[in-house]
Amino acid sequence: MREERWLKWGAGFLLFFVLAFHLFPIFWMVNTSLMTQLEAATGSLFPKAPQWGNYLDIWRVLPFFHYLKNSFLVCSLTTAFALAVATFAGYALARFRFPGAELFAGSVLVTQVIPGILFLIPIYIMYIYVQNWARSALGLEVRLVGSYGGLVFTYTAFFVPLSIWILRGFFASIPKELEEAAMVDGATPFQAFYRVILPLALPGLAATAVYIFLTAWDELLFAQVLTTEATATVPVGIRNFVGNYQNRYDLVMAAATVATLPVLVLFFFVQRQLIQGLTAGAVKG
Amino acid sequence: MGGLEAPLLLMRTFWRKYGLAYLFIAPAFLGMLLVHYGPMVQGVYMGFLDLRLQTLRLYLQAPFVGLENYREILLNPESTFRAGFLYAVRTTLLYALVVNTLNLSLGLLVAHLLNRPLFLRGLWRSLILLPWVVPSYVVGLLWGFMWLKEGVINHLLVDVLGLLPQKPHWLIGPLTFVAIVLPTVWRSWPFVMVTYLAALQTVPQELYEAAKVDGATPWQRFRFVTWPMLRPVTAVLLLYGLLGTMYSFNIVYMMFGHGAGYPGEWGDLLMTNLFRNTFGMWNFGLGAAASTLYMLLSLGLILFWYRVFREDLRAR
Repeated sequence: MREERWLKWGAGFLLFFVLAFHLFPIFWMVNTSLMTQLEAATGSLFPKAPQWGNYLDIWRVLPFFHYLKNSFLVCSLTTAFALAVATFAGYALARFRFPGAELFAGSVLVTQVIPGILFLIPIYIMYIYVQNWARSALGLEVRLVGSYGGLVFTYTAFFVPLSIWILRGFFASIPKELEEAAMVDGATPFQAFYRVILPLALPGLAATAVYIFLTAWDELLFAQVLTTEATATVPVGIRNFVGNYQNRYDLVMAAATVATLPVLVLFFFVQRQLIQGLTAGAVKG
Repeated sequence: MGGLEAPLLLMRTFWRKYGLAYLFIAPAFLGMLLVHYGPMVQGVYMGFLDLRLQTLRLYLQAPFVGLENYREILLNPESTFRAGFLYAVRTTLLYALVVNTLNLSLGLLVAHLLNRPLFLRGLWRSLILLPWVVPSYVVGLLWGFMWLKEGVINHLLVDVLGLLPQKPHWLIGPLTFVAIVLPTVWRSWPFVMVTYLAALQTVPQELYEAAKVDGATPWQRFRFVTWPMLRPVTAVLLLYGLLGTMYSFNIVYMMFGHGAGYPGEWGDLLMTNLFRNTFGMWNFGLGAAASTLYMLLSLGLILFWYRVFREDLRAR
């Protein structure tokens, strides 16, 4: 009984913790986004009168719409391409036995051990070299640094390995007998894959897509190097803005709030599948 | 002709049997080759080159200088790069240790509290998870603002609660370490908690019943029933955590977004340090050599991790 009471107190403390500390920074971010410049700079807790105008100013003072558009474009394209590539590879790893499967699975995981900076440096120099080479040898203007294409290509390859791993888990959880039954009925292995298994894997695919989008939305290291002002994504844009206008925390927090909203909405659509897909890797192995 | 038929036949059966599998993995394989492994090999090689702004166009034909970059990083006591790099190594290792310790203990504790019938449990879980969804660059911005000398944290600590006599500078000196650890934990422990919660729910309830019948105390039940089941999960979470903290960039980079952008000896992580020194100073050869050392450091940690948890991974 003593133990039960202790646990009740523990649970009570937890609720308090959640309300008071854990969510405070988010509450604070939204609050500050509605303050005047002076209120934000002097550490007030609440805005006297909510400055909804801040949310209009971010479109004018920063070209925030431009950054948002760039982020949406890059992240959507990346999600589409990376999901397609990872779906095939994840399915192959979950179902097919072929020479080199172990090696491939291992090399997918090992990509995660390479520090981003170690391949960012060569990628940057390689892209510049390819641009120069295309100009002098072929007379073509190929832009890899500072173009959507260069960033989307890099991101796609970048997010494929982890997506393969998540999708492999989703595919492995679908009973094998379904394909076998389809093939007995005369379907080719490819037809069994895309007519029978793919529709069943849709929730898993959606969760993986959201995971890719979330991660791409949060990518800053590569974006900082591979974009120019014309293609800058939201984090690059906000960072440059902070560097130039140190005291406009009201606007920065409004921009931060708007940058958080899309991923928050996406997350709540697929919360259950996403958590299941990500934790399954740790719980089941 | 006759000599060719057998290999051709062999190739055809091989293709029939495995062709689809290889087709399915081909795009991913190509992408990994072009963006991960190809550049990684080049990066290691660039560590032996004198590759800076002037020689950038030469790409891999830049002057070969052997171990000169490594000598500069490891042995030249006058090098400014070396001092900053070594501080960053220390801060990063400490950061990985502290963040992961806090994440795992907090995650485990709260997962236990939530692993029972509770009013609106799903809602609590979602609310706790909320910071994990906030982009990490927003986390860095937000906390960098909260830590300011006249910011809200000092306002609460000093003006409202009176816990400290005067307002400390959180973003200068050793306190910077606290300022980068807490936001990281804030954003990453919810995921640890949710994973532990999922793992706790797979522990068969009968084991607890049996332990209770045998008169085990709550601590003994945790130590001898729960913990053995959680060790493999802990191993995987620790691996994720080690990689996440060793390669952490966004939070620190955004938190110190003003002026020169230097977070100081206690705030500068290897990722921010190498990024600034490579792309700010345009010394790519030196940066590549340091990045290679960086990867070796992480690999060393992972080998250590593997030695500790080898049995748990095999048990699965």
